[in-house]
Amino acid sequence: MQKALETLLIGLSTGSIYALMSLALVLVWRSTRVINFAQAGQAMFSTYIGFEIATRSQIFWLGLLFAIVAGALLGAGVDYFFMRVLFKHANSGPALVVAPVIATLGLLGLIRSIVGLTWGGEFKSLTAPASKNGFTFGEVTIPFSPLDSLTIITVAVILIILALLFQRTNLGLALRASAYSPEIAQLAGIRTARTRTIGWAIAGGVGGVAGMLVTSYNFLTPYSLDLLLVFGFIAAVIGGLESMVGAVIGALVLGIGLTIILNYVGTSLVFIGGFSVLLLVLLIKPDGIMARGKVRRG
Amino acid sequence: MAKVVGGNTGSKVRKKLALFFLIGWILLIIGDRVDELRVYQGAQIAMYTIALASIVLLTGYSGQVSLGNGAMMAVGGYAAALTLNNLQTPIWSAFMMAILVAALFGAFLGLAAARLSGPYLAGTTLALAVGLPAIANQFSFLGGEPGLLFDVGFPPERFGEDFTQYKWFFWIATFIALIALFVTSNILQSRFGRTWRAIRGNSLAAELSGINASQLKVLAFSVSSGLAGLAGAVLAMTISLVAPGAYTLALSFALVTGAVLAGISSLPGVVLGGFILVAIPEIADALASSLGSEDKLNSYLPGLIVSVLLILSVIYTPNGPGENLRKHFHKKSAH
Repeated sequence: MQKALETLLIGLSTGSIYALMSLALVLVWRSTRVINFAQAGQAMFSTYIGFEIATRSQIFWLGLLFAIVAGALLGAGVDYFFMRVLFKHANSGPALVVAPVIATLGLLGLIRSIVGLTWGGEFKSLTAPASKNGFTFGEVTIPFSPLDSLTIITVAVILIILALLFQRTNLGLALRASAYSPEIAQLAGIRTARTRTIGWAIAGGVGGVAGMLVTSYNFLTPYSLDLLLVFGFIAAVIGGLESMVGAVIGALVLGIGLTIILNYVGTSLVFIGGFSVLLLVLLIKPDGIMARGKVRRG
Repeated sequence: MAKVVGGNTGSKVRKKLALFFLIGWILLIIGDRVDELRVYQGAQIAMYTIALASIVLLTGYSGQVSLGNGAMMAVGGYAAALTLNNLQTPIWSAFMMAILVAALFGAFLGLAAARLSGPYLAGTTLALAVGLPAIANQFSFLGGEPGLLFDVGFPPERFGEDFTQYKWFFWIATFIALIALFVTSNILQSRFGRTWRAIRGNSLAAELSGINASQLKVLAFSVSSGLAGLAGAVLAMTISLVAPGAYTLALSFALVTGAVLAGISSLPGVVLGGFILVAIPEIADALASSLGSEDKLNSYLPGLIVSVLLILSVIYTPNGPGENLRKHFHKKSAH
């Protein structure tokens, strides 16, 4: 019973980090119809910035703030200087379908090489904002640590801010409208191109938080966020790629599921487990758990 | 957009066969004239050619994006090594096994993902490319981090003492690449190739004319995986082992880059793509050493060149340099 509870808690903390990555992917997918594989690279770059600030100032939260800003700027920049140019040029022929995906891949490689050339490939370790040692109750120490609880709280705060932004502000309405139907949104007077860039910026900032949180558990290298991208993608697919709530639920389910495998089966099967979940969802419920009607676009 | 290609008439196939024989003969002569390093690079070009053909077939013809060709190559490499090491069968059977296992694996994966539109397949294959090396690390029968030996043996004695091991690799790789390209080119000009292009052009219209689009997409994915598996076995041969480190995400990226650079729907382009992929590390090395060879430069400069090329080509020549040239001349003649 105790082990089950621990698994649940740790699964929630792992899953909440996946939720941020999966949200970032869904935000971009909704507005641009592209799975932004460069998200791992953007998050990594932001995390390196956050890492530098956090290490120099000895304040994790200052680093986190800088990671968010760097991620948002980079996200907006990618959309403004890169995706717009891409959509202007690659608009015909066999490459039309594949060009955006391949372009984000190229961008991932570009950011990775730039980060590698700047910071090198060494393992960087970030001072975590809270202890990684589990809570102790009398004699018993459980694996769930203050850092885990802080992770959950941080993610919850971000999610609440995002929910308020999307539900209560004009910007959020514009974002939702442009994602739902760009043409109609444009007719209603929304500047869709600018709204899309803002969407990319939000996604970038959220990705930066995910990167900082992962890095407070593990080392930072130019490759260390690849797995986060994969699990974020799986979570997004579970949620149906369209729904932000779905992405969060998918991520929590995935986080708990993978922690169950980790605690009860073994490390070697974690990735296979995640991958099997992806295949199962694609086979059984390809539109995700949030799908209502049989509507598939794109 | 796509020119209509007639069926495979007998004389056409015979002509093509003669052409491939000629190319093979020329390559063998060249192989005798250049030094060891070039011979080795020749084998690598042959390997890339096969791998790129698998991408052209999948992405250029059937319009699906796979980012996991490196992973499919790993499947082929491991299948070949396990066959050769455990069954002691002749070399060719190891290569056949690589094709077979990778194609089956692809069919299985394709059933899940290829029925769906682009992003699902792209993401699933990317997940595979990220995770497969790690999986190989964890099963002892796959040899873990150091991997498995893959030894095709010394060249036959009748070729003489001067016939080096690398030249033997080059011969095998070239031979396999020529066969693979010949077969692929015939598949692409057959009914399947036309049907794939029809699906890529407009999958709804294709279905209305009686094509089972999802079945044919899975078939394309499976055939492409088989080709990638073959390339993986050839790669394993040239480095004499199969290890997770040989089939990285970077390999998958490089392959996509090579295919896009050379024109994603042009089969002859794959040879150019192969040359480019072999040339990039050389150029990067030269650049790195002229910039003062730091570790960082050596490890990240090739990736930088690859990504910049990929981005530039996907923005400015998304359908390959060939199309831009055609457009250019077309405009000229129109005025």
